[in-house]
Amino acid sequence: MTPEKFRAMVSTVLIVGVAISAALIGVGFVGALAVGWHGSLVGGAASSGATTDFSNLPGRLATLEPAAISQLGLATLLATPVARVAASVAGFALERDRLYATITLAVLLILLTSIFVLR
Amino acid sequence: MAAGLIGALAGVGGGILVIPALTILFGVDIHLAIGASIVSVIATSSGAAAAYVRDRMTDMRVGMFLELATTTGAVCGALLASVVAPALLYVLLGLVLLGSAGMHVSRMGEETPPTDPPSELALRLRLTSSYPDRKLGREVPYSARRIPLGFALMWGAGMVSGLLGIGSGVLKVLAMDGAMRLPMKVSSATSNFMIGVTAAASAGIYLGRGDVDPQVAAPVALGVLAGALVGARLLHHISNRTVRLVFLPVLVVVGLETIARGLGFGI
Repeated sequence: MTPEKFRAMVSTVLIVGVAISAALIGVGFVGALAVGWHGSLVGGAASSGATTDFSNLPGRLATLEPAAISQLGLATLLATPVARVAASVAGFALERDRLYATITLAVLLILLTSIFVLR
Repeated sequence: MAAGLIGALAGVGGGILVIPALTILFGVDIHLAIGASIVSVIATSSGAAAAYVRDRMTDMRVGMFLELATTTGAVCGALLASVVAPALLYVLLGLVLLGSAGMHVSRMGEETPPTDPPSELALRLRLTSSYPDRKLGREVPYSARRIPLGFALMWGAGMVSGLLGIGSGVLKVLAMDGAMRLPMKVSSATSNFMIGVTAAASAGIYLGRGDVDPQVAAPVALGVLAGALVGARLLHHISNRTVRLVFLPVLVVVGLETIARGLGFGI
């Protein structure tokens, strides 16, 4: 893989992550203006609970709850840097840069540890 | 939006603007404001870095190499958080930032760093490169100096993030520009690239704690993203000197804000 392609790939991962999250956050935000954060865009019953509660995301997404759509967007945004590091591991490996593939893999593992283990 | 614009140019997260704006202007709870600022740091970083990486402003090797230091530092910081008194730490950090403002002023006139031959270590770690400067209209070569010092400072920056829950983009820029003598624009773009990872490392904690509220974070994220995209376009057209001029007030304000927090004035 050429350095140019590598850069384009990392850049694309970031753009796609940002675009998906911006779209979801935006749809949720506009939806909230229409039916409220806990309403339903398909006319279902309004849910209850705090908008800071990220639990039962799939169930609330099924009723197109604006808060849930924005939460999915925020979660996608928070995952974007992790996806970028993962893409960099692949990029350095394809560039046959052993040293940096190893360094980046170590960063990815430390990152995942701190997200899922240290709470 | 202003937070995203300045963040993209200075290589720092928008937190310094987002937190006081939300708490003082909109009366938002401090925890939700910090949660929104974590989101804004990642939005600034990802939005601006997409352009910087493609345009060869970000040095990905420098970034990845130093992320090794910041992530391990952050884990150590998080583990030590219950042992160390944060008040003293805030004051010390604030003094370091204000002190480095002096160094920053003395470098104000310098457009590109000196081009001494690269060190053995820089060659072995492949930390020599160049970036296209559209303002100067040429390719500017550079190589990382004082790599162990830069690595140690980055470890400290990660440690501070883990201990205090802040992004520490300012410390990252200082380590790359001040210690490693990378060009200011490269330092800023690479710091931008890195702060998203630092923030993502602690994002899970904030989500779980219920500090991320879409009611606050959704509008902030959209505004900051828009600002970051504009800022990332602007960086090409301004000089290293101008980037320093944007960075200096950020440095002083963050320094003062940090000391104030250490002394117990909540912002």
